[in-house]
Amino acid sequence: MNISLRWIRDMVAGLEGDAEAIAARLALRGAPVDGIEAPGEGLADIVVGRVVTAEPHPNADRLRLCTVDGGDGLKQVVCGAPNVTAGAFYPFAPIGSVLPGDFTIKKAKIRGEVSEGMLCSAKELGLGVDHEGIMTLPGEYAPGSSFIEAMGLDDVTLDVEVTANRGDLLSHVGVARELATAGSEPVLPDVPDAPTIAPEYVSDAAEVSRNGITIRIEAPELCARYMGAVLRGVQIGSSPAWLQERLRGAGARPINNVVDATNYVMLELGQPLHAFNLSRLADQSIVVRQPRGSELIEPFMTLDGEERTLSADMLMICDADRPVAVGGVMGGENSQVDDTTRDILLECAWFDPRSIRKTRNALGISTDASYRFERGVDREQQRRALERAISVILATAGGALDGPVLDVDTNPWEATHLRLRLARIEAVLGVPFRATRVRELLSPLGFEVGDEDDGALDVRVPGFRDHDVTREIDLIEEVARSHGYDAFPDELGPYRPGSVPDNPLFQLEDELRDHLSARGLFETQTPAFVPPGEGDVEVANPLNSREPWLRRRLLPSLLRRLQRNLAHGNRDVRLFELGTSFARQGPGEAPRERAHLAAVLTGRRSPPHWSEPEQPLDVWDLKALATAVAEVAYRGAAAVRPAHEAGATFVQGFSFEILDGDGGVVGSAGRIPDARLDIPVWAGDVWGLEVALPDPVPTPREVVDVPLPQHPGSDRDLALVVGRGVAVGDVVRAVEDAGGTLLRQVTVFDVYQGEGLESGARSVALRLRFQAPDRTLKDKEVDRGVASVLKQLEEELGVRQRG
Amino acid sequence: MHPIEALKALERDAVDAIDSASDSDRLEDVRVEYLGRKDGRISAILRGLGAMDPTERPAVGQEANRVKDVVSTRLQGRLDDLTTADSGSAVDLTLPGRERWRGGWHPITRVVDEIWSIFRELGFTRARGPEADTEWYNFEALNTPLDHPAADEQDTLYLVDSVLLRSHTSPVQMRTMEAYEPPIRIIAPGWVYRRDTYDATHTPAFQQIEGLVVDEGITFVDFKATLAEFARRFWGPGTRIRFRPSFFPFTEPSAEVDVKRVIARPDGTSFETDWIEIMGSGMVDPNVIENAGYDSERYRGFAFGMGPGRIAMLKYGVTDLRAFFDNDVRFLSQFAS
Repeated sequence: MNISLRWIRDMVAGLEGDAEAIAARLALRGAPVDGIEAPGEGLADIVVGRVVTAEPHPNADRLRLCTVDGGDGLKQVVCGAPNVTAGAFYPFAPIGSVLPGDFTIKKAKIRGEVSEGMLCSAKELGLGVDHEGIMTLPGEYAPGSSFIEAMGLDDVTLDVEVTANRGDLLSHVGVARELATAGSEPVLPDVPDAPTIAPEYVSDAAEVSRNGITIRIEAPELCARYMGAVLRGVQIGSSPAWLQERLRGAGARPINNVVDATNYVMLELGQPLHAFNLSRLADQSIVVRQPRGSELIEPFMTLDGEERTLSADMLMICDADRPVAVGGVMGGENSQVDDTTRDILLECAWFDPRSIRKTRNALGISTDASYRFERGVDREQQRRALERAISVILATAGGALDGPVLDVDTNPWEATHLRLRLARIEAVLGVPFRATRVRELLSPLGFEVGDEDDGALDVRVPGFRDHDVTREIDLIEEVARSHGYDAFPDELGPYRPGSVPDNPLFQLEDELRDHLSARGLFETQTPAFVPPGEGDVEVANPLNSREPWLRRRLLPSLLRRLQRNLAHGNRDVRLFELGTSFARQGPGEAPRERAHLAAVLTGRRSPPHWSEPEQPLDVWDLKALATAVAEVAYRGAAAVRPAHEAGATFVQGFSFEILDGDGGVVGSAGRIPDARLDIPVWAGDVWGLEVALPDPVPTPREVVDVPLPQHPGSDRDLALVVGRGVAVGDVVRAVEDAGGTLLRQVTVFDVYQGEGLESGARSVALRLRFQAPDRTLKDKEVDRGVASVLKQLEEELGVRQRG
Repeated sequence: MHPIEALKALERDAVDAIDSASDSDRLEDVRVEYLGRKDGRISAILRGLGAMDPTERPAVGQEANRVKDVVSTRLQGRLDDLTTADSGSAVDLTLPGRERWRGGWHPITRVVDEIWSIFRELGFTRARGPEADTEWYNFEALNTPLDHPAADEQDTLYLVDSVLLRSHTSPVQMRTMEAYEPPIRIIAPGWVYRRDTYDATHTPAFQQIEGLVVDEGITFVDFKATLAEFARRFWGPGTRIRFRPSFFPFTEPSAEVDVKRVIARPDGTSFETDWIEIMGSGMVDPNVIENAGYDSERYRGFAFGMGPGRIAMLKYGVTDLRAFFDNDVRFLSQFAS
């Protein structure tokens, strides 16, 4: 909401402080100011100058030599603008004045002629872009008068942020009320040349007909009240300067006197009004109803020239035959006031906020009127608003009020009264308030506070607040707000511990973050939206139509980040992400969500070091990472094994499955096929993994210490020939099975393939450690263990010691 | 030879032997010859003290000990020299050491964690809820009728019927109150979704941290105190805190929390920032308490929400929110652990 500071000052007597100070006060009342615009700022030195003569410069073809009356005698001024004309008025910067940008005007000699000041362009004054040189002023002025006053630039506009509950602040009177001190209601400024009016009202709950005019409400649940006043003989034209300045100061554009008058009252009191061209209303009638029949098919053209399709639940203002306005949203082109209009019907109504919201949503528009009706308009002050509008129109467009005001009020307004318990105030706010203090705090805001009765106060809520103040707690907020939030203490008191346990998934995620960071991976965050094909849960109303799905897996978006990194020349990229996977459930159901972890890696195993050749990350780095991640995620109860089928995600023969403790597949890892990647030729192999996190999260494994062996162990190395098709994993398992309890550890320490071996066979070197907790093993015992291992290997896998 | 003379001769021999030892093995032989516990020559003299004339015993003992010290010091010095010569003197130690890759938490997660660590000290635990939730939990249970301007569907992403992507973390409030009894004292970090396009300060998905306290006897003063305590700890000493009236359908009274930070420059001077909005907050609306099945006359509480992304921008001086989602490793490595 753009607020004219001058308008506010005219309403609040003795308002102190500059724009900044007032903005700070409004912020502490819950209406922060987002911006302050002062078009006249820095122009205080500029005066209106009248050019008396303008002659060619004797020494320069493109310069003019002028004499300027700047109120302080005639000055000679050299001017380069082609449009300078004798007799016209221009902004004039005399010697010693300062222009925006801290530019001081000094006496100068230009091509041999003295110049005592400067005629200014709009650009030089920071008021816009030049079209034709210096800025020609539109009227007659006293030379030497203040430029900013002459141009109405002395106003300051505050952009006040109004929360959705405070429709009353969408008006100058509402903002003025927040700034007024106790006992000083804001007063409306005088309207110049306004006649005194005391209209007669004719009221009914459904229909009023008088003086040839009829108003009827057929949809009382959508329109509680509709008032119409007829003004005849108005002269449509430009508004006077004071009205234009008011509107500009409030950020509105002047249009014509009648429209400006309705806008003026809306900006001042928050009541939207609409003027119909009376001669265009069939039977001089207004019928408030919903559209029907062919009206639902034929488009309706609104004032903005757009064709609108109506629906049966909208509310229309109609004449005897057809719709003439979308109620509370926008007028119709068919009943618009134009330059030749003489007679108008001025509407002042109250529409149901929900209906307005629905209608304007359906039409896809939001107007100044709909915005206010949606947030609630003051029903108590509607006659005052209408009369104010009539006054302004009569003062600016002439004409006369014809007949009584027709007032169809289906449900006359009554003030809400609330009970406010003093004990409850203290219970909520933590500080006691006495009745007198409560009265002191609430009265300036328009609340009427009755006497204390049984520890409670009766509070009458004014019409401009009964949309948001409907309960005792709403009043308690007003007490706190009026008292000032800063005035409450903020010392920490004792508190009881909560009953909610810390969610273990957060703990697990933090452990994984620590683990992966320590392994040299960076955590990433990417939004869950993905292109088609990467998810099966669709967003119904996406704004970005390229990514309308929610991701099923994290890996694809993580790979896009990796590609982007490679495109930026980052050769070593190691990323991981923790995020939600969405999977479609039954029709109409919310998707199933599961926390996932994904990681991608490419580049070198470690930072290059001068002492050794660079080594790329390989499948063994990935396997170790996948194993470690699975162990952390599943608290030790997980396994990684080669996948028989790689699927589309990974390269066949380079992929793993991650299994949980029950043997269920919870993730996979592997090399990403080049075909799936768009990466530079110099990039290395890309490795990836994704694992679903356990749900529920198992409790962390308890660590129980096993005493260290007190007796030395014995190591035996075996060189085995492993035939084609036999997996080393199976060899190790067979060794472990056969080695008995004394075999404590099996380590693969070499794998050799090539000369001296049959094709496809490998020589695998294992180190076996035998150890007993209670004694030093004898050679014979170890020999027995090795023998049984060899026997088992031969029988089960055909594996023998290398000869 | 007088024992003292003998000791002096022995000292000379030992020093010669030490100085002429060409490697550490030889040196070890020398050590054994002179200082060896069993057969060392100095040890033998010390052992023989008992059989000596008592009047000479102190002087000889003293001299033997002196020689022993001299020899062992010299031995150690020579050993150090030899070790350096063996393996080190040829190495240029100005060459770079062997590094390991470093990784790290995402800057926004770091901020979430920092916020969490403060609230943990203030007695909070962490709760979570689904990211796809219903209109009831996202709006209606939070005292926000669907036709209220605050529930503007323009801003909310829907999946099917009344299922939507939560537009704030506040649904966790109701879900937690339904699952547990007061006292409730939680924060709930998580992703939220809005119908926004990407620009320097908006993304259609971003993180929020919700907070909720519900118990008997909770007042506006507790609310202010807890959040002010958080703000002071997070933003540092000297930070000024301002509570400003505002509006949220699910809190009343409602407040925006602003901070004014004091930032120290490297040259020792400092400056104060403008007021920065860091949180929306308020006392839990009685309707919300009732919707949870609690008695609003008995239980009150306060709630708050903040955006760690926005806070991370302020804290780390990041000017474009999209940098957090580009995940360029050069950007991320600034936050390496």
